[in-house]
Amino acid sequence: MSVYAEGIVVLLCVNAIAAMGVSLLTGFTGIFSLGHAGYMAVGAYMAAILTLRYEFHFIVAILLGGVLAAIIAYVIGVPTLKLIGDYYAIASIGLGEAIRLILENGGTITRGARGFPGIPPYTTLAVAFCFFIIMAFFMFNLINGRFGRAFKACRDDYIAASLLGYNTAKYRILSLVLSAFYCGISGALLAGFLSFIQPIMFDMMKSTELTSIVVFGGLGSMTGTLISVVIITLITELFRPISQYRMLIYGAILVIVMVIRPEGIMGQYEFGRKLGKTLKEKFLGNHFSKEGGKS
Amino acid sequence: MDILLQQIINGLSLGSVYALIAVGYSLVYSVLMFSNFAHGGFLVIGGYICYFALNSMGTGILIAGFLSLLGAGVAAVVTEKVAYQPIRENTNNTLYLLIASMGMSIVIENIFVVTIGGRFRALPAIIPTQPVHLFGLATTSAFDLISLLAAGVFLGILQIILVKTKWGLAIRAAAYNLRIAGLMGVNVNLLISITFFIAGTLAAVGGIFLAVRYTLYPQLGAITIKAFVAAVIGGLGSLPGAVVGSIILGLAEMLTAGFISSQLRDLVVFFFLVITLLVRPQGLFGKNISEKV
Amino acid sequence: MVEVSDNLILRLDHLHKYFGGVPAVKDISFSIQEGELFGLIGPNGAGKTTIFNLITGVYSPDSGKIYYQGEDITALKTYEVINKNIARTFQNLRLFPHSTALENVMVAMQQHHTYSFGEAITHFGKWQKKEREIKSESMDILALVGLAQRAEQKARTLPYGMQRRLEIARALALKPKFLLLDEPAAGMNPEEVNELNHLILDIHSKFKFTILIIEHHMDLVMEICPHIICMNFGTKIAEGNPLEIQRHPEVLKAYLGEEVDEL
Ligand SMILES: Nc1ncnc2c1ncn2[C@@H]1O[C@H](COP(=O)(O)OP(=O)(O)OP(=O)(O)O)[C@@H](O)[C@H]1O
Ligand SMILES: [Mg+2]
Repeated sequence: MSVYAEGIVVLLCVNAIAAMGVSLLTGFTGIFSLGHAGYMAVGAYMAAILTLRYEFHFIVAILLGGVLAAIIAYVIGVPTLKLIGDYYAIASIGLGEAIRLILENGGTITRGARGFPGIPPYTTLAVAFCFFIIMAFFMFNLINGRFGRAFKACRDDYIAASLLGYNTAKYRILSLVLSAFYCGISGALLAGFLSFIQPIMFDMMKSTELTSIVVFGGLGSMTGTLISVVIITLITELFRPISQYRMLIYGAILVIVMVIRPEGIMGQYEFGRKLGKTLKEKFLGNHFSKEGGKS
Repeated sequence: MDILLQQIINGLSLGSVYALIAVGYSLVYSVLMFSNFAHGGFLVIGGYICYFALNSMGTGILIAGFLSLLGAGVAAVVTEKVAYQPIRENTNNTLYLLIASMGMSIVIENIFVVTIGGRFRALPAIIPTQPVHLFGLATTSAFDLISLLAAGVFLGILQIILVKTKWGLAIRAAAYNLRIAGLMGVNVNLLISITFFIAGTLAAVGGIFLAVRYTLYPQLGAITIKAFVAAVIGGLGSLPGAVVGSIILGLAEMLTAGFISSQLRDLVVFFFLVITLLVRPQGLFGKNISEKV
Repeated sequence: MVEVSDNLILRLDHLHKYFGGVPAVKDISFSIQEGELFGLIGPNGAGKTTIFNLITGVYSPDSGKIYYQGEDITALKTYEVINKNIARTFQNLRLFPHSTALENVMVAMQQHHTYSFGEAITHFGKWQKKEREIKSESMDILALVGLAQRAEQKARTLPYGMQRRLEIARALALKPKFLLLDEPAAGMNPEEVNELNHLILDIHSKFKFTILIIEHHMDLVMEICPHIICMNFGTKIAEGNPLEIQRHPEVLKAYLGEEVDEL
């Protein structure tokens, strides 16, 4: 594999881990965030500082990067996610700003706006791929079971969910903490891949890219998120020469998908049994749609 | 003493500009129950229309201002028609509206970036900025007094519209319950268009003042974050709340800048947000958030 | 007949609830014995649904107390009330429309078959056994309400009467001791209402729990509930057995008044 192709695969794994986190939060729990790149930044700087300055083993550093992101998410999530409304979305902008301000003014610890060089290049293809496989395994298992059903119930109708005995605030916070953990891990891997990080890498544009990936793949479909990561990461690479249109494209994706097909490319379907069945219904005629119709 | 008074006047002036933005945003929130992140885009559109009317068409400030308000109002209505109405009609999931509004915000900002470029532009000196001595007590700029006055006038007009006109009454009914307003025979789509038009116009007024204060650039709309925070402090969806929240933020920013450090003024905004969420999450004037079951 | 023990399961004590100064519930007190099939009737806007919302903690009363099995549950949050083995259905259905009928029931059923977070992300340990139990017991409940054939169908594509039964199934999956049904027959045709009557009587005798049922139409309640309360304008106007209720002058006035209004 050429170095360039290898780099793209690593980038795919890194993006996929973060996107799975955002997918859990936005797609499965219905919480909109504008600051997930902030959690990536936390993971990236944590891992960079721990490996370079304190000579931690890189795996420990990556995991601690995820843990710190999760802790920060918890602190922000508790006051905002107990409320119904767009409070978390607004607070998440504030979070992104605050993290950037802190990193830029962090003195010798974060080395300010000019960036943090010399991070050990621990993110090899094998490391990135192993992390991706393990994180995907956990995520797909999680959504296929009682937690997945609970998250979706809180997303679809929080009043009905609380009348089925769910503490909806608890599940919303759990979802945020897990998604921040995924983003933190992703950021830590990115730091080890690039060897150099800068606060500006984790700006609104990165957050928007993650949300666009999830929306394009289909809210409530983890498989869709993964397909979408591949499509959007590759498109971004292909269109690098005209990168000034990149944000315009992300913005347009968000609007067009919401207007035309809010379920995204995959709807809520997952690979495997369910998808097979859907395809069969599509081709052999759907015997349900005749009697039901839209209500 | 005079520095304090001066910073208070500056704070009130900045707060009044936030109020123009926050009130429009809150008005939309109260009717549609979603946070319209494209609101900052309307402000930028208003600013650029004013800029080009003054520079390329050579109009006076009154005509430029009028065109700017009209253009931003129309842009807001078009945004609603193109991006939100189809979603509203398909589902009542406000998450979709939230995502679409984020998309529209990025689209508007980047249309300016790719067409006319991202550089900073200064508006011609249309608003006097010379110093004014207030009864010998303090010195402030005419600009601050004018922006305070303009905000007062426009918010006053809004208040009259909401209280005295038929559509104002309908908007207030819709803020209570949009579906019931629809059942009472109000043309809901028209009502929403009017709401967006008002929000766009107020944003344009704010945009012109911000462009004079800070110069004009495509990302100027990002400053609406502060108006969002002001709306949360006052209580999401409450108009008096939006005004009070804005004034509090404006004062806090200017007093911080004047007496502590101007680098901390942005951090103070988020500090207020966090305190509000911890102590009184529904905001100063917020209704208790409940849904009819 | 179910034996009616002398144990109170629910007691409402001088409940008041105002919406913007307008009383929706005014000084309501009554008690329900364990195992009772209890009816709550009253014309439109009488405050019946508000009583359910107060009991289940969706709203909190402006004054008054709610006791469940002797314990004060007035201040509890909704999910805490539900976790005391209370379940309810909604007058305006609140199913998860894009989930299948089976998933709708499983979401409730899984509350009684939990496994740890570790097991959830690895699918090791109890995961498989518990998931199998959740699914099979959910299927049993769907069969009980006559929806076994429709398990894989999206809730929103079910005919209306079936959606109502699916809501009852979902409430039953919580294995409640006390079940609140809000106008379960709303929008049903007479044949469906008849089936529903049998279903309610069936589950009442099978699970031996207490049921509080709201009905707008008197006939259904008169047929199956031995103990009835009638409300109007937020207050209790009558209490007794069907015969007493039917003859009560206030009840006649409330319902007659409504008919006159509707003409
Ligand atoms: N969340 C709320 N906000 C304002 N008013 C409310 C609210 N919930 C109920 N009400 C009012 O309280 C009164 C009682 O309503 P409730 O829904 O309890 O009546 P009901 O007896 O269930 O009537 P129906 O037979 O129509 O279901 C009505 O006037 C209603 O409009
Ligand atoms: Mg009712």
